[in-house]
Amino acid sequence: MYDNEYFVVDMSSCSSTGEIINSLSLALETLNHSGKKIVLKLNDGYLNQSQMLSIQSLITSYGCILDTIETINPETAAIAENMNILVQKPIEKRVEDKTINQENNSGFEKFSINTSENNDIIALKDVNGLHFEADLDAIKKQQDEINIKSDLKNAGINPNEDFNKIEQQVISKYKKPEEVIDTIDKFSGLTNLKINSASESAIGLEEIEDYTNVEKNSIGVYKKAYDENELSPDDWEEVDFYETPTTDPVVSDSKSTTYINQTLRSGQILESDGNVVIIGDCHPGSEIRAIGDITVWGVLSGIAHAGYKGNKNAKVRALKMNAVQLRIANCYSRRPDGTNIPYIIRSSIFTPEEARVVDNEIMLFKINQN
Amino acid sequence: MAGSVIVITSGKGGVGKTTTSANIGTALAHMGNKVVLIDTDIGLRNLDLLLGLENRIVYTIVDVVEERCKLKQALVKDKKNPNLCLLAAAQTRDKSAVDAEQLKDICEQLKKDFDYVLVDCPAGIEQGFQNAVAGANEAIVVTTPEMSAIRDADRIIGLLESKEGVEKYRLLVNRVRPKLIKSNDMMGVDDVVEILSCELIGVIPEDTNIITSTNKGEPVVNDEKSLAGQAYLNVARRIMGEDVPLLDIDEPTTFIDKIKKFFAKKAQG
Repeated sequence: MYDNEYFVVDMSSCSSTGEIINSLSLALETLNHSGKKIVLKLNDGYLNQSQMLSIQSLITSYGCILDTIETINPETAAIAENMNILVQKPIEKRVEDKTINQENNSGFEKFSINTSENNDIIALKDVNGLHFEADLDAIKKQQDEINIKSDLKNAGINPNEDFNKIEQQVISKYKKPEEVIDTIDKFSGLTNLKINSASESAIGLEEIEDYTNVEKNSIGVYKKAYDENELSPDDWEEVDFYETPTTDPVVSDSKSTTYINQTLRSGQILESDGNVVIIGDCHPGSEIRAIGDITVWGVLSGIAHAGYKGNKNAKVRALKMNAVQLRIANCYSRRPDGTNIPYIIRSSIFTPEEARVVDNEIMLFKINQN
Repeated sequence: MAGSVIVITSGKGGVGKTTTSANIGTALAHMGNKVVLIDTDIGLRNLDLLLGLENRIVYTIVDVVEERCKLKQALVKDKKNPNLCLLAAAQTRDKSAVDAEQLKDICEQLKKDFDYVLVDCPAGIEQGFQNAVAGANEAIVVTTPEMSAIRDADRIIGLLESKEGVEKYRLLVNRVRPKLIKSNDMMGVDDVVEILSCELIGVIPEDTNIITSTNKGEPVVNDEKSLAGQAYLNVARRIMGEDVPLLDIDEPTTFIDKIKKFFAKKAQG
């Protein structure tokens, strides 16, 4: 039995760790319980050591001690025991109302939060029968404020010092989920990423205007470094009127990586100020430009321009390299004539290749072969 | 000497404008003329594919118009024939990226250096068509012996007549199938010419080599055995002012055909 210095928190309705932490911090913040020993009731879910540690540190940040854990999961129990936390097996399940009554009679405080995913209402109950309902947004906001406060507490910062800061964080966290999920920005902190379709008037080629010293250069074929037969000169004649721009290399400071999970189709331009990873194919007529590297988890058949602001160390990788043109920094190269793999690739044999600049020429290397 | 600007148009899509442009261009270049092909189908370019020049394009007509490069830089030389050049369309833009005045200007510039400027027109009668026609002083209207294509060609001829610059327009009947005409399942070339009342520049038979040549990126005129290739060469000669009789597009009778006929007669008799 628990006496008055214990505080029982029933989390058996929570399914994930995040939910437990949220509800727990809400419970601890709403009622002042500093100095009390916490009895945490869990369901049969498994918690690993780091999750357990984070729960423990959250409780300590509120001045409480995690004393006992009630669980039927043997693994969770073992971890708790390792952390010097008492483990109890829960009393056999009874009708919920009765539990509350009995616990009320025994004189200790009971606090339970029922979070149900389907309802927008969270019901909070405490020992005195105090019952209130609030809409989900308000409660979540409250929870978040608490979370941030506890984060700050953990970091050794007094949350009362700078409320504006916290407020800002809360506001930024509370963008409508659709906005966050649907925009492509969710992948990273990219500032300049766009997929232009043909109908849009904006074109990324404007960047080329930044180049100043235009030097004459020629466009040669890209060759396979590992296949000596391919290295022999073919019927290619140099075309002297192509000019490729050269300028001081712009290597991005923060190499953020963008993940795109879609097929790039003809006429689409993907532009990024970091690295790009495309999970899907890039069809002929599409174009990818990145300041950093380009990786295509699929067939690359369009134009790829890595390090387009002048970074010659940028690379282009693809599971199947069929690019019409490969461009790295100011090196341009085209596909050898007659090697066009048809639009529909029937063979399932992929040879992952990486394009690098070697002596101002673009060469293909087999990935995992140096 | 100023070259002539010839627009290849049809109104209806899929009748063979781009194939015709690629083949006539190649044929003219074969005969020693300096030829430039302009693809004005911005956003849906195909001419580069038919010529097999897709991998050589760095700058496009839109880059020229927006002064990102010089006109000469955007001209892609053909793999085999140095007399032939391509000014490719941009794939990542649409028709509104170029206007009629700009295209007219480009045609004027190219006229000085080339004998023939062939403009491949997009389908439809909207901005793309207006752009393509702007600089032209000659037109080739491509049609097939089908009612829908003929009606669209009629509309196009009407529009061309109202254009000031276009002095001459001629008809090219494409995808003709002599067998079907014989069995009265297809309109004859004479009927088409009569309906449209327009000067004829050539008749191109349906040819399966066209499909393979498109996939290979090599115009069919390079194939001496192809009947369509021969027909296109004749069209090119007529453009140059030669008087060439119409090609006999009846499928040549082979020995096996004669045997078949013989047995058919025997069976009847």
